[in-house]
Amino acid sequence: MTSFTITLANQGGAAFDVDHRKPLLQSLREQGVDLPYGCKYGGCITCAAKIISGKVDQKAQRALNNRQINYGYIILCVARPMSDCTLEVGVESHDKLYRNPFLDPLAAHELKADIATPLEAKK
Amino acid sequence: MTNHCCGPGYASPAEAMTAPREKLLYTIAIYTGTGIQKPDYLCTIDVDPESSTYSQVISRLQMPGIGDELHHSGWNACSSCHGDASMERKYLIVPGVRSSNLHIVDCGTDPRSPTLFKVIDGAEIKARTNLSAPHTVHCLGSEIIISMLGDAQGNAPGGYLQLSKEFEIVGRWENSMGSIKFGYDFWYQPRHNVMVSSEWAAPNTFMPGFDLEEVGHLKYGREIHFWDFEKKEPKQTFYLGEDGLIPLEVRFHHNPDSSHGFVGAALSANIIHWWKDAAGDWQWEKIVDVGNEPHPEWPIPIPGVISVILLSMDDRYLYLCNWLHGDIRQYDISDPHNAKLTGQVWMGGLLDRAPEVNGVKVTGGPQMIQLSLDGKRLYVTTSLFSTWDNQFYPEIRTNGGCMLMVNCDTENGGMEIDPLFVVDFGKEPNGPSRCHETRYPGGDCTSDIWV
Repeated sequence: MTSFTITLANQGGAAFDVDHRKPLLQSLREQGVDLPYGCKYGGCITCAAKIISGKVDQKAQRALNNRQINYGYIILCVARPMSDCTLEVGVESHDKLYRNPFLDPLAAHELKADIATPLEAKK
Repeated sequence: MTNHCCGPGYASPAEAMTAPREKLLYTIAIYTGTGIQKPDYLCTIDVDPESSTYSQVISRLQMPGIGDELHHSGWNACSSCHGDASMERKYLIVPGVRSSNLHIVDCGTDPRSPTLFKVIDGAEIKARTNLSAPHTVHCLGSEIIISMLGDAQGNAPGGYLQLSKEFEIVGRWENSMGSIKFGYDFWYQPRHNVMVSSEWAAPNTFMPGFDLEEVGHLKYGREIHFWDFEKKEPKQTFYLGEDGLIPLEVRFHHNPDSSHGFVGAALSANIIHWWKDAAGDWQWEKIVDVGNEPHPEWPIPIPGVISVILLSMDDRYLYLCNWLHGDIRQYDISDPHNAKLTGQVWMGGLLDRAPEVNGVKVTGGPQMIQLSLDGKRLYVTTSLFSTWDNQFYPEIRTNGGCMLMVNCDTENGGMEIDPLFVVDFGKEPNGPSRCHETRYPGGDCTSDIWV
């Protein structure tokens, strides 16, 4: 098994070795980390965390729009690590996750992946 | 008075209106999405003015795990089984929208302190029916059906889950979803062999929060569907267009002979009315249109967002909440084609019209409402859905939600916020929580249907 080290920056730098094949939510909860979650299929954003460094595979997520992805948000219930990672977890990491759409609209390239207009395509 | 020879509920809406005053409420409260790592729970609230614990939470039933997002609920039996003496209104079915778990709560053994009777695991529902995201619960005779807003991966349109009266999964209720794109609420009117269903969005669309921009990409609903209730398949669809963006709560007249019904289009902030004409064809029209309100610093005007509507038991008054504006309105719909505004009160909202009520800072706006059977007391909660709360009312994380009561004049119309009643969910023992739908032990103005 390939394992990576996941460091939780907002939990005193606690570090956990995790299996690269398992979703991060599952690996971290199995090691006693108390994390929020909801749907467990990548659709509901409750378990969102912010990636500070490292890389994950989160192709199965359907919850994030491109602005949220650009801010570094990942969906722990489906994200699998591809390297050592440092994360901020829980609602403390949600400072940029939510926005009022009447105050702060998304640009066409910031929508969810299935409906976003890529920036280069606008020319 | 209740006819004791028979099953649950009342012989008619008129009989329901003569029932004794409600003394307890069941209201769900959530920690999902709040940062507090505790399960969501069902509150029992004392609403007996003679009681020393009036206007207080007197018991709390925690769910087994975190992350359910309790939302709506429904009884195992209602007035639709009034003629069946073997049935009893004893169990409240309390779904978790995010987890898809169904909690069966025994409210009958000790109404002041309900207990968990059974949990139907969301994983089992997904595996057996390919459905997720339970929303509205209605009983129909001894069967129970639940609108499920997604498939097992959170894609639309989902379908309907049928449970037996022993709370076993029967399977899919519907024979076909036809060309329906989304699910949400439903109500049936058996004497017209009709069920009407409305549209929110796919769970993968609405659960992470509201991207307004997705409405233009047709990710949110704008149609209502008329079903052949006996054949369990959709028969006719009305495209409501810009007048009907995000049609949510569906209410038929309580009078089982009536074909009139209403839906609140949340984003358009309109009330849509339908009825069967003399030729037997269904018709629809817009009867209320709440205008958008400009905000001095925001680029986009704020729509009302009609998150709920409700009809009084005598079908005379329609109530609606503008969750973003912050007002509750009462309309006289004695003539359902001509709604007359007869009352309005303010609490919370984004327009800053009533930031504090009864000494409590109202965070959120008027959201779910439940009316007493006699039509005189309207109980109001302020949280909509964890992720949407977090977008529009981020202070709810520290302030929690609240419940208020509005006194309604059933003779002349009019509403007034009761100055004594307030339940502050910001002061709950485990920290600020958020309250949503309310049920009464004996049935209420959105739980019961007459066959």
